[in-house]
Amino acid sequence: MKLGSEIIEISDNLSFSELKEILRKKNPIFFEVFKDQSVKYFLNLTEIIDTNIYLKDGDEIAFLPPVTGG
Amino acid sequence: MIKITKNSFNLDEEFIKIKDNSNGGYSFFLGTVREDIKNEKNKIQSITLECYESLAIKQLSNIRAQAIKNWDLNNCLIIHRIGKLSLGEKIVLIITASSHRENAIRACEFIIDNLKVNVALWKFNVFNGEEEPVNFKFKDKEKFLKWSDVINH
Repeated sequence: MKLGSEIIEISDNLSFSELKEILRKKNPIFFEVFKDQSVKYFLNLTEIIDTNIYLKDGDEIAFLPPVTGG
Repeated sequence: MIKITKNSFNLDEEFIKIKDNSNGGYSFFLGTVREDIKNEKNKIQSITLECYESLAIKQLSNIRAQAIKNWDLNNCLIIHRIGKLSLGEKIVLIITASSHRENAIRACEFIIDNLKVNVALWKFNVFNGEEEPVNFKFKDKEKFLKWSDVINH
């Protein structure tokens, strides 16, 4: 997985869990991403712990595989 | 000071930035690109480092603040390179400064152990022009977890 980004339009009052469903339909790779326990999710630079969190216009979501810097 | 950069850095120049007469000890960690062998025909030619910069800066700032607080550091500098790096090139520099050596040494080790498992940076080995992601090492995670007494306070 390499760095990449995409802007997507979503309806108001969408939760992160619902967004995951949309992404799975959009690209099957997300079935693998969301199954992988080692992938972490961030919303506006803060790790998502509760996947029922609601999203708003301008939010930035990141899917991060295990890091390997240093 | 925290910096993520494509450019190399000079150790003396960075040391001058942190040098102060109030410090009795400094500790340095310098990570470099190691020659590694995938198999007999494939040696690493270079590495590429990718970064989610805004998150990495935030994470490094938190780690730095935690180290300063826990070991009463006078100062702390962290530089991490990104982009394409050749064998032997500098990847990461950490300098910790404190009144006494023990705090500087412990804090420096904490920072690199933490950085390796928690900061949004990804390394790719380049073999024959092809990039291959470096696998996360669980021994690094275990090493970081040994600091749990520190990070839970």
